[in-house]
Amino acid sequence: MNNYKPSSMLKIFATVLAFAIGSQAAHADVLSDAKASGELKIATEFHFAPFAYLVDGQYAGLNLELMDEVGKRLGFEVSWIDLPWASVLPGLEAGNYDFVAGPAMVTRERQSRYAFTLPIADATVGLIKRENDDSIEKPEDVAGKRVGVQRGSAQADEFRAFNQTLPEPATITEYVDFTQSMADLAARRVDAVANSLPNIAYTATQRPMFAVVEPTFGKPAYFAYMARNDAESASLVEAINQTLGQMHEDGSLAALQTKWFGAPMDVPTGDFVPEL
Amino acid sequence: MNFDPSILTTHAGEIGDAFLVTVKTWLLGSALGLIVGLALALLIRSLGRWARLPLLALSELIRGTPFLVICFILYYGGPSIGIDLNAIFAGIVCIGFYSSVYFAEIFRSGFNAVPRGQLEAAECLGLGRWQLLVRIELPQMLVIILPALTNLLTVLCKETAILSIITVPELTAVLGGIGTRTFSFAETLVALCLAYLLLVELTARVGNWLERRVGGYLN
Amino acid sequence: MFDWTSFVHSLPLLGQALLVTLKASLAGNLFGFLIAIPVTALRLSSRPLARTLGASYIFVFRGVPLLVQLLVIYYLLPTTGLPNLSPMTAAVLALSLCSGAYIAEILRGGFLAIPPGQIEAARLLGIGAATTLVRIELPQAVRLTLPSLVNELVLLIKASALISVVGLADLSRVAQNLAASDYLFFQHYLVLALAYCLINLPLTFSGRLLERHLARSQYRAAE
Repeated sequence: MNNYKPSSMLKIFATVLAFAIGSQAAHADVLSDAKASGELKIATEFHFAPFAYLVDGQYAGLNLELMDEVGKRLGFEVSWIDLPWASVLPGLEAGNYDFVAGPAMVTRERQSRYAFTLPIADATVGLIKRENDDSIEKPEDVAGKRVGVQRGSAQADEFRAFNQTLPEPATITEYVDFTQSMADLAARRVDAVANSLPNIAYTATQRPMFAVVEPTFGKPAYFAYMARNDAESASLVEAINQTLGQMHEDGSLAALQTKWFGAPMDVPTGDFVPEL
Repeated sequence: MNFDPSILTTHAGEIGDAFLVTVKTWLLGSALGLIVGLALALLIRSLGRWARLPLLALSELIRGTPFLVICFILYYGGPSIGIDLNAIFAGIVCIGFYSSVYFAEIFRSGFNAVPRGQLEAAECLGLGRWQLLVRIELPQMLVIILPALTNLLTVLCKETAILSIITVPELTAVLGGIGTRTFSFAETLVALCLAYLLLVELTARVGNWLERRVGGYLN
Repeated sequence: MFDWTSFVHSLPLLGQALLVTLKASLAGNLFGFLIAIPVTALRLSSRPLARTLGASYIFVFRGVPLLVQLLVIYYLLPTTGLPNLSPMTAAVLALSLCSGAYIAEILRGGFLAIPPGQIEAARLLGIGAATTLVRIELPQAVRLTLPSLVNELVLLIKASALISVVGLADLSRVAQNLAASDYLFFQHYLVLALAYCLINLPLTFSGRLLERHLARSQYRAAE
């Protein structure tokens, strides 16, 4: 057959690859980089009302308004990257972006791996059901039923722990995002969905076909944003924490919470030890 | 980068179950697609030039749509038009529905490849239509289309990864979940690659072996 | 049944998303083609090592699901010290590496169909191997396999429905976001399917026209 020189072919291949990959400078300091370029790349998931979602064809939510305000005070603009939740943390570790405004539930395990900002909302886990389903009046009633959770979320772990205490454990289905689990709740493929109170409470007010199961079953927990736990990100987390502290004091955080959750939330304004 | 494969052995049970779900949805879905595809090919062949148009148009629409979108429509869109399937069954139906048009296309080309003279000869000998199909056309056609069938099977094996998005607890979903829960993204991704390479290679080998065994009958 | 207000609201977003889908898949196809040329050459080489290299490339990139390839490129490669990629670069890289393997298999058929006499003649005339490849063999191989190449483009556009896992707001992701906002799952996913068909069906049909044209010209050449 034909006789090509593989070495020359490999050279072409390597050139194409190098061209496709391009190169990027290593990070010096995330905050000063963001200020210098005027842009901070932040990952979120636009399936998490009322934090980040679509309203009439426009992206909206607490994450966007809060981080826009933080960016304004610190001197950068936010560019959002929309990812399925299970991909968000691997991408942060890989350095594809420097900040996650998911928001994520603060847990001790995550704290040992990531740098969290101050909490921005309550994240205690509860259940949501179909409004007309009388068989579920309290969290324990989901024993033996089907419950949807979000894959890779701390809320899912929290429900798994609760599920072990039930006389007959519920069957758990894992969803890529909160909306898909709600779609299946409506379609009767699951009987309840476990997620954080702000999400389920908001969904229940927007869609009367759902109702929150009172009370929440999880331990008190909080939502916060996060960065990598390294020296390059330390100044960014510190600056954002200072700004969040200011927003606590001038009432702008409470105003945002009222706008998106219906009432201000009592969240820690300093270091705290999560119960999870 | 830390690389600790022991995370795979500590979750071996979970991963084993997921592997079985992958194989189950893949093979049952393909079997469904094969049967529906054959029926579709025979139906289109037996219909007139105009009567077959709606079926052809529908096939084109399915072939123009990504598998992911077919899954979305059947699983999340389904309940609003009264189709309500559990996840694994939905996964099998999605694979079957999507692959049926590709199987039909393979069967069509297979039928065309059987020499016309043989069919005429069989008719002269007084074989009925059904006998003609089962004894003359199908056996020859299956040998001719074997490489194409093997190829489609490997494609479908990889498509099962997309079922993770509609909650089917198959390999990609379960290993992805373990990766996020234990922060061992690298180990789980490498394991995923190896698992699919293994399945695809196995399929190709079985296909080759079959080709060699039955290829002789053609001459 | 069909909520027109929601549909009209969704159009600007879908329009932007369409551009993302087209950009990623067209660039993926182009670079995939460029990757396929050396891979095909390796695959057809007379040296066993080169053949193994080419075959291994095809084995890996055809054997692993694109979804997994995307995850590896975006999330795993940077942790090994390679540079971080933007979502679009990562998506185009994954699509081109994957389609490169498929296109290489297609081109191989085209190369094998070229009469060996031509290559011998080129060598006798003192034309180098690389020039023979690019100027003599490649144009003929492409002409012979054009219908399959068009078909591969359609497959790639469909495969690009997965690129949102690296953070691109493509057609599929935006439709998901739209469905999340108003729970009109069936409607948004149906519109999504039609959007893909709108791109793919003209391509499929032109592929078939090419195939017929090619078959006719070959028939004439044989006469």
